[in-house]
Amino acid sequence: MKKVSPTKIFRWIFVFVLASFAIFPIYWMYNTSLTPVGGLFGGQNLIPRVQDSLQIFNVFFTEVPIWRWLRNSAVVALGTTLSSLAMAVLAGYGLSRFRFFGKGLLGFSLFATQMLPEALLIVPMYALFMSLGLLNGFSGLILANTAFVMPVAVWIIKSAMDGIPYEIEEAARVDGTPRLAVLTQIMMPLTAPSIAAASVILFFDGWNDFLFASTFISSSEKWLATVGLASFLGEFVTPLATVFSAALVFTIPAILFFLIMQRQIISGLTSGSVKG
Amino acid sequence: LSKQVRKKTRRYSGSVGESRLMPYFFVGAATIYLILFTSIPLLRGFWFSFTDSLLLAPTEGNFIGFENYRRYLTDSSFYSSLWTTIVYTFVVVVGAVSLGVISAIAINEKLPGRAIFRSMLTVPWAVPGVSVVLIYNWIYNYDSGVANQAVQALGMGQKGWLIDPSLGMFAVTFASIWKVFPFIMLVVLAALQSVPEELREASKVDGADRFSAFKTVVIPHLMPTIRVASLLMTIWSIRRFEIIYLLTGGGPSGATNTIVINVYKQAFESSELGRAAALGILGLLLSLSVTIVYFAVDRKNAKRDSL
Repeated sequence: MKKVSPTKIFRWIFVFVLASFAIFPIYWMYNTSLTPVGGLFGGQNLIPRVQDSLQIFNVFFTEVPIWRWLRNSAVVALGTTLSSLAMAVLAGYGLSRFRFFGKGLLGFSLFATQMLPEALLIVPMYALFMSLGLLNGFSGLILANTAFVMPVAVWIIKSAMDGIPYEIEEAARVDGTPRLAVLTQIMMPLTAPSIAAASVILFFDGWNDFLFASTFISSSEKWLATVGLASFLGEFVTPLATVFSAALVFTIPAILFFLIMQRQIISGLTSGSVKG
Repeated sequence: LSKQVRKKTRRYSGSVGESRLMPYFFVGAATIYLILFTSIPLLRGFWFSFTDSLLLAPTEGNFIGFENYRRYLTDSSFYSSLWTTIVYTFVVVVGAVSLGVISAIAINEKLPGRAIFRSMLTVPWAVPGVSVVLIYNWIYNYDSGVANQAVQALGMGQKGWLIDPSLGMFAVTFASIWKVFPFIMLVVLAALQSVPEELREASKVDGADRFSAFKTVVIPHLMPTIRVASLLMTIWSIRRFEIIYLLTGGGPSGATNTIVINVYKQAFESSELGRAAALGILGLLLSLSVTIVYFAVDRKNAKRDSL
């Protein structure tokens, strides 16, 4: 038997405590979603009972329009992803492969968008969308979210393309393949992991948007899940178990996608900002 | 000028017959988009800040010069909001960076269950802000929240985490640090994995113990990464909205009323578009000055390192 050193045990306990600190609120969300009203007040059980949870799911499906909210969120998230991705793939390629007048300014502007508080821009955006008749619609939300998150995608894709040697596309260029075909047939497949990572960031930026959604949307059929969930704050009618079941259905996709893509997301975000 | 540009472009793209407008075809859509939906709104916000516009009639405001700015700069509540922003940002950045670096170092070496622990430590970063607020709102609940169950078990009595002005900042920064520290951890973890093995070996040969090897070899290698990540974290903290707005709404009694929260309330609760815009510009100046100081220090460091 290998001897286990005390420092190693100590380190394991330390990491265990850190990981518990990180995961506890999510566990608590899950726990609350399975505990009926009577069980919540005056001390919650650490492990909920199964028959209680079945009863809670019944209430959940009938009382909260969570599926409609999630569908609305998905529309906005998908719209944000597609519109941002189309521009970001083109711009990422352009910034990576050409030198041109205004390139430095464009690169700086992309970083500078990270500094702008949404709360400042939302005021003139509100005025703009009001005059365009885009308030209270999903297209306004997609346009606003795209403005904030598309630059991040440009950075990620540009730095991924910087890592592809120029000779690889040179060969195709000699054959007379047009630029756009080089981009779609050679560069995009080669940078697919980074494009996927960018898509995850884009999608969940739209999915998580609360500020624009709560400010621009006035009719409750068009609420996104964020706004719907936030509407439970400070009201005491909906059972907490129902609130947290809905919150979990909303949260779990984000957790799954980020866990699957974490390596690409981190390398994309850091290489972009280190060079920027 | 245009001749120079033409030459450069042609040399770079390197193929005959390709239009020199080609680069603009690629970056054009994104550029126009940013001009339409970021630059113009920003300029318009700047213009609003010199007017007394109201939310429902944004175009009918009168030009009033620096009046909005003058009012803020002579109002003590602006300075307390600025101070709140600085405290919030400082606590979140220091907390998230320390916790993130410690987690990264702790999990970098082999350990039973490391992959699971790493996933667990990554999760908070992926949790949407609104969900963070829902769960912490319940954890901080006065009568039945688990935070009060815990402190009561320790014999410290019930605390008004979201009601007591002296605890509001703690409650909000705690939830924020919890959400963002994994970002630092992942970034530092990636940097740790790029520490050249020879460097560590060399310091071992020199007889350095683990701790001093760490201090002299690993930490300097991590510093550039930590600096960039701290800058991003600072900028993001200055503009953080939903966690604060939904958890405390700037309260209790203004304890968490950061500039961004204040901008939103001025615009959408008081309908004072002009005043809100001026405050937003002041907040933007704060982020800008942090960035400028960062790049100035960075350049100085780079010079020192190259000497």
